[in-house]
Amino acid sequence: MHELTWGLPVILYLFLGGMGAGAGAVSGSIFLRSGGGDLAGSSFRFARWGAMLAPVLVIIGTGMIVFELGSFQAGNYFRFINLFLTINLSPMSIGSWVLALFILVSLAYAYTFINRNAHPGDELQKLRKMLAWAMVPLGVGVALYTGILLGAMPARPFWNSPILAMLFLVSALSTGVAGILLVRALFGRKQVISKESFEHHSYILGSSDMLLIGLEILVIFLFVMYAHLTIGNVEAAVSVIMGGELTTLFWLGFVVLGLLLPAAIEMKYVMPTLLYQKEYSIPRTMEIVICALVLVGGFMLRYIVVIAGQVTGPTGI
Amino acid sequence: MSESKPQVSRRDFLKKMASGSAVAATATAAPGMAISAARPKRYAMVIDTRRCIGCQACSVACKTENDVPLGETRSWVEYIEKGEFPNVRRSFLPRLCNQCEKPQCVAVCPTGATYKRQEDGIVVVDSDVCIGCKYCIQACPYGMRYINPKTGTADKCDFCLHRVQNGIVPSCVNTCQGRARIFGDLNDPDSEVSKLIATNATTVLRPEMGTEPMVYYIDADHADQRDAAKQGIYIRIETNRRQKERV
Ligand code: SF4
Ligand code: SF4
Repeated sequence: MHELTWGLPVILYLFLGGMGAGAGAVSGSIFLRSGGGDLAGSSFRFARWGAMLAPVLVIIGTGMIVFELGSFQAGNYFRFINLFLTINLSPMSIGSWVLALFILVSLAYAYTFINRNAHPGDELQKLRKMLAWAMVPLGVGVALYTGILLGAMPARPFWNSPILAMLFLVSALSTGVAGILLVRALFGRKQVISKESFEHHSYILGSSDMLLIGLEILVIFLFVMYAHLTIGNVEAAVSVIMGGELTTLFWLGFVVLGLLLPAAIEMKYVMPTLLYQKEYSIPRTMEIVICALVLVGGFMLRYIVVIAGQVTGPTGI
Repeated sequence: MSESKPQVSRRDFLKKMASGSAVAATATAAPGMAISAARPKRYAMVIDTRRCIGCQACSVACKTENDVPLGETRSWVEYIEKGEFPNVRRSFLPRLCNQCEKPQCVAVCPTGATYKRQEDGIVVVDSDVCIGCKYCIQACPYGMRYINPKTGTADKCDFCLHRVQNGIVPSCVNTCQGRARIFGDLNDPDSEVSKLIATNATTVLRPEMGTEPMVYYIDADHADQRDAAKQGIYIRIETNRRQKERV
């Protein structure tokens, strides 16, 4: 078995960074889709939650990997600046630049929302709209890069798959949505202006979360299927989740607890509205439970993938 | 490669002779000297496992020469035991950084701290630039890299660059009493490594990784535990590095 070169800080970074990037991208897109927030008042508040969440999560995550750097631990606290003195085709190099850009833009974006009286059409609206346009591709970029980072190495057959980046992207968006829903369910009750629009937005987010989880299940299916169909190094590596030491964690912890269960609960509430235009209503506790499950699933995914990639390697010599 | 070069210049030579360019003709008349002076070196190592007795002198020499921190290894020897008594064989596999032609560690390094030297093909780490992100450790298919606890930066075998630059062979080669490790320039067709590669069946480790190693093995046993299960034989691999398993 290999040593774990990348531990919990990297796992947390991939999880928090992905979630923050997802929240940022979702916030930007919600904001833009409601005509820059002018059309529906609560889309604006909705986007606001995402805008607040994005930089906080990504900065915490990024801080974690700075502590993990060997140079930092050896006392060269600012050596990481070297990342920004050059740019090359390494996924980490490009990723660092995108990440830095995301942090700056998301901070500015959050700033446009920070005022309690921020509302659609205020003096910051133009800037806000511009930044929202940037948030979407940057958020997607950061989320994708976390997967490309791991996928770039033939020496790690478990990671070395183009679908990993896709998986991380979908998971980032879904945890981002769950993150927004969660803080909104926890802290957003006081700001409810009209119950209908609050529920309406719960519905929109809930159903898109369901969609994303469905997509994630599909991507996981493809990952596992091709792992099953392949031979050699990849087959040997993927066997850690197909009977190996991480099997239970993967299938119970991630697939059942983090994907199927929240998807099933969401379906129960979303389907009547989706199919029969029934009025959407979901108990707040249920919403919190779903979000918590999705977040646990997102963390499990990063945890399992990061560990599995490191405990497996090429076979033979 | 080293074989095709003289051919090209000979053809060049004939062509230029035919076109009547006297200047060009004199310039190419003595290609050997002129070209090898300007031509970059391509250092390689041939490890003749038939001559290795597994004494670990190279491992020790390396640790001393390069002040390798306790617990880490730049070069080590793996013992491969196979078969049941009385049909047994024990063979040895000395390991070191392969100074790959297509180094994965270089491909992923975000700071450019790890790079392959143009002039001799040795892959080195600039410890003043490296941030210790450990990406290269993940990317090397041979588990050759470690973080040096003193500097917090990535470290690995560099063919004893400080020695090679001064015209002497790496410490492990110097100390190997069986002469199992042979070091030299692949761009020089007369070097011992070039001749050994030309006249022996050689293999490299994990060729499917696409790294094109510059460390060649003669008669290396590539069997591992998976082969053991497949062939129903006993195989045990032992290594003296910190991670007691082959990675
Ligand atoms: S063996 Fe590993 S560390 Fe050495 S050059 Fe090849 S990829 Fe890099
Ligand atoms: S640990 Fe150093 S040498 Fe290795 S990839 Fe990171 S910056 Fe480059």
